[in-house]
Amino acid sequence: MSTRTEKTGETGTASAELALDLYRQVTRIRALELLLHRYVKEHGFGGFWHPGLGQEAVQAGAVSALRREDYLFYAHRGLGYALVKGMAPEVLLGDLFGRTGGSVGGKGGGTVHFVDPELGVLGQGGTLGSNFVLGAGAATSVQLLGEDRVVAVFFGDGAASRGTFHEAALQASVWKLPVVWICENNGWHLSAPFSAQSPTEDVADRAAGYGMPGVVVDGQDSVAVRAATLAAVERARAGEGPSLVEAKTLRIRGHYEGDPQRYRDDIADGLEVPRDPLRILRERVPAAAADDLDAAAESEAEAALEAALEMPKADPGIVTEGVWT
Amino acid sequence: MSAIAEVPEGVETEQLGYGRAINAALAEEMRRDERVWMMGQDVAKMGGVFGVTRGLLDEFGPSRVRDTTINETFIVGGAAGAALTGTIPVVELQFADFGLVAGDEIFHKLAKWRYMHGGKLSLPVVVRLPTGVVGGAGAEHSQSLEAIAMHVPGLKVALPATPADAKGLLKTAIRDPNPVLFFEHKGMYRTKGPVPSGDDYLVPFGEAATRRRGDALTVVATGLMVPRALAAAERLAADGIELEVIDPRTLVPLDMETIVASVERTGRALVVHEAVRTAGAGAEIAARIQEAAFFSLDAPIWRLGALDTPIPQDPDLEQLVIPSGEQIEAAARELVAL
Repeated sequence: MSTRTEKTGETGTASAELALDLYRQVTRIRALELLLHRYVKEHGFGGFWHPGLGQEAVQAGAVSALRREDYLFYAHRGLGYALVKGMAPEVLLGDLFGRTGGSVGGKGGGTVHFVDPELGVLGQGGTLGSNFVLGAGAATSVQLLGEDRVVAVFFGDGAASRGTFHEAALQASVWKLPVVWICENNGWHLSAPFSAQSPTEDVADRAAGYGMPGVVVDGQDSVAVRAATLAAVERARAGEGPSLVEAKTLRIRGHYEGDPQRYRDDIADGLEVPRDPLRILRERVPAAAADDLDAAAESEAEAALEAALEMPKADPGIVTEGVWT
Repeated sequence: MSAIAEVPEGVETEQLGYGRAINAALAEEMRRDERVWMMGQDVAKMGGVFGVTRGLLDEFGPSRVRDTTINETFIVGGAAGAALTGTIPVVELQFADFGLVAGDEIFHKLAKWRYMHGGKLSLPVVVRLPTGVVGGAGAEHSQSLEAIAMHVPGLKVALPATPADAKGLLKTAIRDPNPVLFFEHKGMYRTKGPVPSGDDYLVPFGEAATRRRGDALTVVATGLMVPRALAAAERLAADGIELEVIDPRTLVPLDMETIVASVERTGRALVVHEAVRTAGAGAEIAARIQEAAFFSLDAPIWRLGALDTPIPQDPDLEQLVIPSGEQIEAAARELVAL
């Protein structure tokens, strides 16, 4: 089987209902990103927040292509993945601030490990690129149990360099596992530009070596991301094996909030998102509806922050809990 | 005072090799629970490089007995992912040393995933790790690395020293909802012994086995050092020196109660393992003995272990690196006389 990297020039079609739903998700993520930016700047908190500002369309577009029972291994940048999968924003913020109302009961803080087994949110590892093998393993369970589920594994262009990608992708293709590999290519391996660390223009080119389709989409266009992911998800669900979807997107902020980004001169230090996913979606959504959704998202984020800050910190006893089942 | 039977009295047994006992445990557990499956390099048609999984493909089929490519990070990390999602993987690394190739997957993913995620997920995984010297396997295929596993919280660690324990501990490991590193001694695969025939023979974790009763000295030994310590004890018994030999069987959890109670009776302790002596499990056991039983001790606690050197490839040379029965015997004589 030979495969070629396909670059989708078209943005795909979207019903009015779908466009509205994507707008709602993107603006919800954006509101939380901006709120967190403000909060961390003003108050700081005990950890490193890796902002996902600018990458909302990938997270909303791709996760919205999954069903509730599908499994999700998300990446470290932003909280959009877990939010769109169905986790409540106050729970996510509770995790960030290390509060008992967070999904890990106050053990988190900073770099987060959101989890919700009911929603298929299975967590993330602190070593980048460690989710590949777990994702392929989860897909092996799905295959063994004959379940109708798909596993989505998110990663950045930096984590794509890990050897674990090779080991997991190869085995997943050989066994035709129901996995979708979703690369958020924001152009930066922390301080090194992707172009300096990749011999090819696209991560998706690597898919051919594993006999799977590799698709490049505009990661600022949530409709296009959703369409590409959905095609990959359907292929996986049909038992035809994994696919690689590469969404070209933008990292607006630093690697972590507070990173002065001295290594970078392609972007002004601010909050402006070029090719803003919200602006792109507004072409498909009535202005009044979009305005309403923006306002609702802001209220949701403010309420979530208030709720999270009211949650107590964990008792010291939590330190030794949860090692063993 | 003499050696104690490997299997409790009254239990029906058959003579089986250590490797066949592991095979029996795998087959029984896979029959009992459809969620149990296995993968590793060459485990299916070939039956594993040591032949331990032979015949399982025929009985359970290629879906539940899977050959992987050469990909230790997937074998272990994939097992972690599978365990999170409703199945019970029992995976084989060809050599315990290869666990270091999957270091992130063992020490971060298996050991910490549950903890990092608020105790909401479980990882019922067994990683089978053929350990120790086997005769010319070389520096990267012969190590005894169990102390590293002991040093990272979140992993259970088993080291069977008899065919009966190989079966009983593995069955317990498969039924344990936590990740277990199962260090099976590849030099002992052909060692035969009585193995309980029943499906329900389980050896609990955290329960040391007293292999021999004695009053002169407590010898704590693991893996291949258990038969060597028992042979040394027989020779000393001829001179009227009776050693008590204790096999902890699992290092995590570690049954210090049995060890300490013995040392309180004998007043002396020698800890022996095949792993490198420096920072080995013996250092931890010795430290805990003196914390709990300092005033019962009539002599310092001694340790025997491998030299601070890699394992040489030559089969004769490799034996010079790990403790021999003669060295155990000599150390015991000296320690008893102190």
